[in-house]
Amino acid sequence: MKLSMSSSVAADRARVFAALIDPEVLRRTIPGCETLAATGPDAYEATLKIGVAGLKGTYTGKAAIADQQPPERLTLSFEGKGGPGFVRGSAAIALTADGDATRVDCEADVHVGGLIAAIGSRLVEAAARKLADDFFRQLAGTLT
Amino acid sequence: MYPANFDYVRPSTVEEAVRLLAKHGDDAKLLAGGHSLIPAMKLRLARPKVVVDIGRIAHLSYIREAGGAIAIGAMTTHADVQASKTLRDKSPLLAETASHIGDVQVRNKGTIGGSLVHADPAADYPASILALDAEIDVVGPRGTRTIKAVDFFVDLLQTAVAADEIVTEIRVPATAKTVAYVKTEQKASGFALAGAAVVIGPNGVRVGITGVAAKAYRAAGVEKALAGQKLTPDLIARASAQASAGVDPLGDIHASPSFRAHLAQVNTRRALEQAVRRS
Amino acid sequence: MADANTTPYVGRAMKRIEDPRLITGAGTYTDDLRLSGMVHAAILRSPHAHARIKKIDTAAARAIPGVVAVLTGADVNASCGFVPCAASMPDLKAPKHTVLAGDRVYFVGHAVAVAIASDPYVARDAIDAIDVDYDPLPVVANAEDAVKSGSPLTHPDLGTNVAYTHNVSGGGNIDEAFRKADRIVKHRLYHQRLTPMPIEPRGVVASYHAGEGALTLWTSTQIPHLIRTLLPGMIGVPENKMRIVAPEVGGGFGAKLNVYAEEALISHLAMRLHTPVKWIESRRDNASATIHGRDQIGEYEVAVKNDGTILGLKSKTIADLGSYLQLLTPAVPTLTGLVLTGCYKIPAVKMEIVGVYTHKMATDAYRGAGRPEATYLIERLMDVIAQELKIDRLELRLKHFPAPGDFPFPTSCGLVYDSGNYAAALTKAKQLANWDQLLKDRAAARAAGKLSGIGVSTYVEICAMGPSKAMPAGGWEWGCVRMEISAKVTVITGVSPHGQGQETTFAQIVADRIGVPIEDVVVMHGDTAVAHYGRDTYGSRGTAVGGTAIVMCIDKILTKAKILAAHLFETTVDHVVFEKGTFTSPGVTNRVITWPELAGEFYVAKNLPADLEPGLEASSFFEPQNFTFPFGTHIAVVDVDRDTGQVTITKYVAVDDCGPQINPLIVEGQVQGGIAHSIGQVLFEQTIYDEDGQLVTGEFMDYAIPRAHDIPDYILGSTVTPSPVNPLGVKGVGEAGTIGATPAIANAVMDALEPLGITHMNLPLTPEKVWQAIKSKN
Repeated sequence: MKLSMSSSVAADRARVFAALIDPEVLRRTIPGCETLAATGPDAYEATLKIGVAGLKGTYTGKAAIADQQPPERLTLSFEGKGGPGFVRGSAAIALTADGDATRVDCEADVHVGGLIAAIGSRLVEAAARKLADDFFRQLAGTLT
Repeated sequence: MYPANFDYVRPSTVEEAVRLLAKHGDDAKLLAGGHSLIPAMKLRLARPKVVVDIGRIAHLSYIREAGGAIAIGAMTTHADVQASKTLRDKSPLLAETASHIGDVQVRNKGTIGGSLVHADPAADYPASILALDAEIDVVGPRGTRTIKAVDFFVDLLQTAVAADEIVTEIRVPATAKTVAYVKTEQKASGFALAGAAVVIGPNGVRVGITGVAAKAYRAAGVEKALAGQKLTPDLIARASAQASAGVDPLGDIHASPSFRAHLAQVNTRRALEQAVRRS
Repeated sequence: MADANTTPYVGRAMKRIEDPRLITGAGTYTDDLRLSGMVHAAILRSPHAHARIKKIDTAAARAIPGVVAVLTGADVNASCGFVPCAASMPDLKAPKHTVLAGDRVYFVGHAVAVAIASDPYVARDAIDAIDVDYDPLPVVANAEDAVKSGSPLTHPDLGTNVAYTHNVSGGGNIDEAFRKADRIVKHRLYHQRLTPMPIEPRGVVASYHAGEGALTLWTSTQIPHLIRTLLPGMIGVPENKMRIVAPEVGGGFGAKLNVYAEEALISHLAMRLHTPVKWIESRRDNASATIHGRDQIGEYEVAVKNDGTILGLKSKTIADLGSYLQLLTPAVPTLTGLVLTGCYKIPAVKMEIVGVYTHKMATDAYRGAGRPEATYLIERLMDVIAQELKIDRLELRLKHFPAPGDFPFPTSCGLVYDSGNYAAALTKAKQLANWDQLLKDRAAARAAGKLSGIGVSTYVEICAMGPSKAMPAGGWEWGCVRMEISAKVTVITGVSPHGQGQETTFAQIVADRIGVPIEDVVVMHGDTAVAHYGRDTYGSRGTAVGGTAIVMCIDKILTKAKILAAHLFETTVDHVVFEKGTFTSPGVTNRVITWPELAGEFYVAKNLPADLEPGLEASSFFEPQNFTFPFGTHIAVVDVDRDTGQVTITKYVAVDDCGPQINPLIVEGQVQGGIAHSIGQVLFEQTIYDEDGQLVTGEFMDYAIPRAHDIPDYILGSTVTPSPVNPLGVKGVGEAGTIGATPAIANAVMDALEPLGITHMNLPLTPEKVWQAIKSKN
């Protein structure tokens, strides 16, 4: 599943970039994030309770940040598993200055398996978009 | 297909149900007809700790005239909506829509309140609720309030109903016979790939679309193009082309975003034509 | 009694004897069994299509109260043998198929661990608590990709994705045929993967009596006897201490013509835990871990003369086998090769079938198994040839039919068709469909701008499987008929009906031939403690093969009964007349002996001839000398909605010749069900794996089977051409509907789209696909 998303955050690129690699900010902005701890340089372990409405699952997983080119781009890779299946993939995140704000473009390649793949892509893709939207909204909220 | 452990409570009044929701917060989930919640629980996609069964609350299943409107209790089954003479005589769109939902078993158990609150993006009712400009009453710890249909559907599987509130009544206006619901069904589930509901009234045309985007929506472009005009076949065809304007259609194995958008236009045109024929 | 003696039961459209218990919920399915002390198993399945298992941690699962055991492949595989494949082919490369995964998983749904608990909820909790650490590996989920060099390997240890290459050639010189051709018609066809989706998924209950060393296994299967043949080698319980019971079975369609890992695993658990164990498959597990059907893709070339004469047929087929071989997996595509020429005289054929492994569930016999694929391709090809040569498609077919006098008709594929009158079925179907009017209606619809199409298929199929020399594990059938002391008749058959209605049809045959009321006949089946031998139900064999064994028993019983009657009449057997349940001896005595009297004499045994054994029971094995070859013509009429791509079937006519019909109502039911399967296959059913090998049609939310409102009114007819292969003359009808209907409906849709210049689409012809095709021509 390929997802492209764009969002605008009312902060300059440096602040947005710093937030995207700050575990404390991420813990507060990632939807459903219950725990997030650094396990090494740019490597994290997290527990997320995510889903939409009453359809939520708990996932544990790892994330790593690579290809950092502050304040322009970074790549986030992630893998998680939980009762409803697994999620893994990567997201290339690019930051572009847009006046005082920053446009965040995210190109994600997401692989899901198990039940969440079996129940059809309609809700999964829509849910993924919604979660990403929520994240960027939270992020924007944190930075303004 | 065995759900995770849960506690089961069965209030006998709306007030008691509201108290239970307040008490259990996010852990609680309301059980109405069970046709969305139970499958999700069996798949363990939903794992509520407490299931609050509102199936035995008296006086939540009815269809009656109330002023110029028709009031429908939230626990009214799709089968009862489909069969209601009151609705067929005074506001036939919902009855027609209900006949498209699932199969006989689903219609005999599923409820209008449950379906609306679940807000599946491809459910049938939302298109008609929007086209009818219905009102939805909810009761919660802060009392009773009324939500307009346009404000009701917020996002994917999300409505304006708060977690501690219960839908109690849906009110739809009396309409002429010039209404229609036209749907292309997803063959496996019976849900709508695209469904268009149309109400042609003295004050204009309202069009609700379901199945196409993350939530049901009013086709504002279509309504605007038709406003104050004589509904000729030509105009209908031109206006219907706006049925998916400005929305981000969903895609899956059953239909690509462009096919869903196309079906929205075709079904809007057909619903309008049918409604006109019924005048 | 009087009624029974005046009207034969055979030929009557009787309601099924088995129906009242089924429609009132009084049937006993596997999940209805409740044994004392029974525990429940749940199976953890892989969410990955290909991965190495790094670690399985079961500690948390074992700690849940009520959990009896949590076991992995390391714990059980050595005790459960290998899941068997009965099809032997030269040079077949086959992976070892253990009941639980070893250190790798090869498809989504691959069983990884089993939890046993006091109730099914706790068992499910337990598998949720098992932590498996997977290392995902490269996936190949498409058979055409799998044969390309550089493809990931399904089983790296096999060194190739090709399981086998099977070549068929027959008839005359194929190269010469293609040299002499005026034209080569080429076409590529895809037969999509389907999920059988029986409404009752699989399920197993196993109970082991440690003192006796005896195992009883209840399983929702079509083949209790074949399981009794194959399971001993897996779990080490001898055949004669093993009882297999098929209770009510809620649909098989070939999906339950298999020996599954769970049958060995659950048996082993009952032995290991000393308590009965139940496992019931969920719908999702059924979709991912019960066999799939079809999934063949082929390139076809036909050598034709300009007058339409077909000189030869060449094909190359890639068959997607999935990751493992189930019971008949590699053999199914070869059945396609057997009827490739359909009901036509095609003098030379050459076919290459490549069986390929992919990271998906195994394919195997699914309703029609190989013959629907063959029929679809030859019937599509006939239409394509007719279209390219601008010849009438019915004329083209008629031109290549063998005449009634040509039977037994040897085909280029190496079969000998038993009997047939293909033109008669075609003529009757045209009459029932009002053919000339159909053509006029289509012309009028087209003139009005509508997309209207007519599709025809004339088919022949292989039934009554089969001669033992052609079957992996014997193709005979066993039966037993016993008249009890009360003159009630007990019939025991080795076939294992699960919807085919033989409790009714065999009772009809027996009641007529023995001359008793049908209410006095009980047909027993599906329990190896009762029906000791049998080769079970598949390949439309129940009545043609199993019914014949019963007829042989009846003949033996009547022979023996006449000996005693002669003794009682104090005459010789040639002076005994048996008619409609009574024995007389005209000219010798006025005495009339009826069954109650004679049965009593047989069992009281005080007045038997010296050399006659007491009791009145006979058993028989019937070995068929050939398959049977039912045939027919199906005609479908469709409208295609230009705007939505929606196909509506407006008329459906089927004329099927399955020989004499024991019970026309059951025949009609079988045909109706078969056509419904085809409506699903042509218009919306498909099993979809994504490129990661994830199964995305794992529930009825996404896998579309036809529902009542998708089914048009059928106009059904028949012709009757008896088979010389068995004394009943019957041919079989279990698969005919779906074999004949798929090409008829597909041809109708393609006919509707033909004026737009659309010549090819892959099944299923979903609204979006049809709409895209129409759009591409605008």
